[in-house]
Amino acid sequence: MRQPLLSLINLNKYYGDVHVLKDVSFTIDEGEFLTLLGPSGCGKTTLLRCIAGLERIQSGDILLSGTSIKDLAPNKRNVNTVFQNYALFPHFNVYDNIAYGPRMTKSLNESQLKTRVSEVLELVQMSGYEQRMPHQLSGGQRQRIAIARALINEPSILLLDEPLGALDLKLRKHMQTELAHLQRKTGTTFVYVTHDQEEALNMSDRIVVIDQGEVQQLGSPREIYNNPKNLFVTSFIGDRNIFPVEVVEPGEECSKVKLGESVVAVRNSSSAKNAFPAEGSAILAILMDKMRISCDETENAVKGRALSIHYAGSQIRIEVQVEDRVLTVVEYQKIDCDCQVGDTVYISWEESGAILLPKDGWEERGV
Amino acid sequence: MKEKTNRLGTFYLSLFFVILYLPVLSVILYSFNASSSTAQWTGWTLDWYRQLFSDRVIAQSFRVSIVVAVLTSLLSAVLGTFTAVVSQWVTARMKTAIQGMMILPLIVPEVALGVSLLFFFNALGLPFGTLTLVLSHSLFCVPYVYIMVRLRLQEIDKSIIESALDLGASTLQMVRTIILPLVAPSILTAALLCLAMSLDDVIISTYMSGPRSTTLPVHIFSMMRVGVTPKVNALCTLILMGTFFIIGLSQLVTKNRRFAK
Amino acid sequence: MRTLKRNLLAVPILVWIGLLVGVPMIFVVVLSFLSRDNLGNIIYQFTLDNYRRVVDPIYLRVFWNSLLLALLTALITLVVGYPVAYITANLSPTRRALSLGLIMLPFWISSLLRTYGWMILLGNAGLINNVLMALKLIDKPLPMMYKFGTSLVGTAYMLMPFMIVAVFNSVDKLDRSLLEASYDLGASRWKTFFQITIPLTLPGIAGGFTLVFIPALGLYFVSDLLGGGNTVFLGNLIHTMATRGRNRPLAAAFSLGMIALALLVLSLYWKVSKDKTGEGLFQ
Repeated sequence: MRQPLLSLINLNKYYGDVHVLKDVSFTIDEGEFLTLLGPSGCGKTTLLRCIAGLERIQSGDILLSGTSIKDLAPNKRNVNTVFQNYALFPHFNVYDNIAYGPRMTKSLNESQLKTRVSEVLELVQMSGYEQRMPHQLSGGQRQRIAIARALINEPSILLLDEPLGALDLKLRKHMQTELAHLQRKTGTTFVYVTHDQEEALNMSDRIVVIDQGEVQQLGSPREIYNNPKNLFVTSFIGDRNIFPVEVVEPGEECSKVKLGESVVAVRNSSSAKNAFPAEGSAILAILMDKMRISCDETENAVKGRALSIHYAGSQIRIEVQVEDRVLTVVEYQKIDCDCQVGDTVYISWEESGAILLPKDGWEERGV
Repeated sequence: MKEKTNRLGTFYLSLFFVILYLPVLSVILYSFNASSSTAQWTGWTLDWYRQLFSDRVIAQSFRVSIVVAVLTSLLSAVLGTFTAVVSQWVTARMKTAIQGMMILPLIVPEVALGVSLLFFFNALGLPFGTLTLVLSHSLFCVPYVYIMVRLRLQEIDKSIIESALDLGASTLQMVRTIILPLVAPSILTAALLCLAMSLDDVIISTYMSGPRSTTLPVHIFSMMRVGVTPKVNALCTLILMGTFFIIGLSQLVTKNRRFAK
Repeated sequence: MRTLKRNLLAVPILVWIGLLVGVPMIFVVVLSFLSRDNLGNIIYQFTLDNYRRVVDPIYLRVFWNSLLLALLTALITLVVGYPVAYITANLSPTRRALSLGLIMLPFWISSLLRTYGWMILLGNAGLINNVLMALKLIDKPLPMMYKFGTSLVGTAYMLMPFMIVAVFNSVDKLDRSLLEASYDLGASRWKTFFQITIPLTLPGIAGGFTLVFIPALGLYFVSDLLGGGNTVFLGNLIHTMATRGRNRPLAAAFSLGMIALALLVLSLYWKVSKDKTGEGLFQ
């Protein structure tokens, strides 16, 4: 087994009476691209700042290659941060910005420094910009310089705090690919903070979903998308129809639930194996884009009535009423049946797109 | 309707500025009057300026004022900047305390401040002169440096400071390489303001001057009490020119060092 | 421990202020309870005589003069300065910068020079009398110097920029859409001005009032040069007592009286502006 690069052990952090990080524990492996994902205010940026040393933790420990760094000042930790607003020094040009770290630590002489600066500038495709001042650069260029400035120190871990948040959508998509490339090229461990699930799913090796200061789930993008562990992750990641259903026949892997007039089999979530009572209710979550609509009854299909049909670019969104609730179906190709509003339709879904969760926390969501 | 109020506003503003600068301009004008009385204009002359340069008392007090003003600005720039930077790190309660204390010298009427310092230094047996003048002038200068530097500090993005520390700078290195260069224009402007305020102070200087260290304003004040003489006009005009020269200089310096945000 | 270490950095500042303001103030308080001999030497004997003299009708009159001067100065600077600030805030960017520059410039001009300018303008042989006589509007000079009004004009002139800058800052922060909403709801310009603009710029007005009132209590060189000592103000009295009068205990008692007046105005300012440290005054 590989030795973890960074271990977080029962981190706790309070701002006054507010408990912002609750017993956070996980490990980060060498060379991986790990994303901390969660809604704003969930504690993900605080966690990043604790790793950087910009915030102090009240209890727990942070081990870097097995050594505790929790009492080290930020300048003594071999981790570097890329800030959301770039934080370039406005009075230095690009060269002096990038050279700042080695100059402060006196780790390189001026000629070595010159070589290193051109190396990292080439890495972020900004060669030739040495003499520019930060205010002469565009947002994307500033971001690259900020990354170069952090990479020149050859940190064990590069921490990125929503680095693409201030860019427009098109540039953001472009930079996502570039960042992922850069990470692979340098082999540096990236810890990336974002609230954008698409960003997280696109770039990461692993994702840590955080809510209210607690780790909700840790896993590969695929795992998190297909097998959300609890209600929060289910509702935060992916567009799903989520609603309570009655469990007719609980099982070990699959349970049968009643939906409309039909009884269908649904895979149990990993956290809920054998957790369902013989009779009672659970939460069913179905990914909208894994659902199909047809005019004829098939096996495992649920009968409903088409309420509305919207054509939005390549997508077709159909709202279907099943008993007293409305489900949304997203289709990408032409719909199998040429239904009209008010017609009776049958909906079905790929088995992997549906999951059954225990009802814990449903009431608190206030849905 | 709007046009009319605009014109009325411009007229009011113009009138106001005429009255605001009329006294200043008349001082300058009469410094060139050949007659020693303002009652009549008898032609242009530079005689009063010539007289000024041969006045040894004025030369002496001018030297005292310059020395005091330069030392005051230096001391205030250091102390005010230090206070502003430090007030970012202390606890919230200490910060409020510092802010309150910085305001104190500005809200106690100057006469009361001067009199209290007179009594205090007297009791300490401190010799009145350059030292007491610089100490007392720093009292109303440091708060201005503090306020101007702090306003600039508040504009600095916190993450710039964090990123300097993150990149490996110690706190001291960070202050030297990041904070000081970024607030330098504010320190300079504030120091120049201190220079002007120290050169202009009458009230506190009256109490702090020693027998052989009268400042220029204190001397001018005693000249003015005798009445209007063109020599005072000439002296005031020269001081004004000096001040404007300093302001012009500071404008040049800050303009060249301004960074786009 | 960490916070203690951080607060340790503030010690030099505390020492500096404490030594130059705190201790001298305590000194003044102690001094105000002491007596003096005929040569002006301090006698270390407790007495309330100085305070008895402060409330003596003759000296109360001096308090009244100073209070009146400071209040009227604040009022004049407000009435004259408010429109200047208001108009400036509504100018186009270039004209606004010019106007602001002209308002701030006097801060850099020697206050003695500015007082002296009025001596030249208002004197019997002064510019105004010369012009009026040349125009044959009067045949002998109007006596304008050495009156209460002369001191008032000089003091108000000296402190005008403080009021304008304070008011300007709050007028400038005013949300224009509120005024437009008011016009939109049918209020007239005057009504809007008195019901929206004035209340919303009240913190600026209070700040300007404080910034003008406090120095106006003590600008003794202005009333000395322009008022000629015909009306005695607190500043002149304290100055005379502390220097030529050689009555330091009495000067100390009066200084405390002056500080009390300043604190009174300051507490009013705190009430109106809710600016706890008073820092808003100087920004």
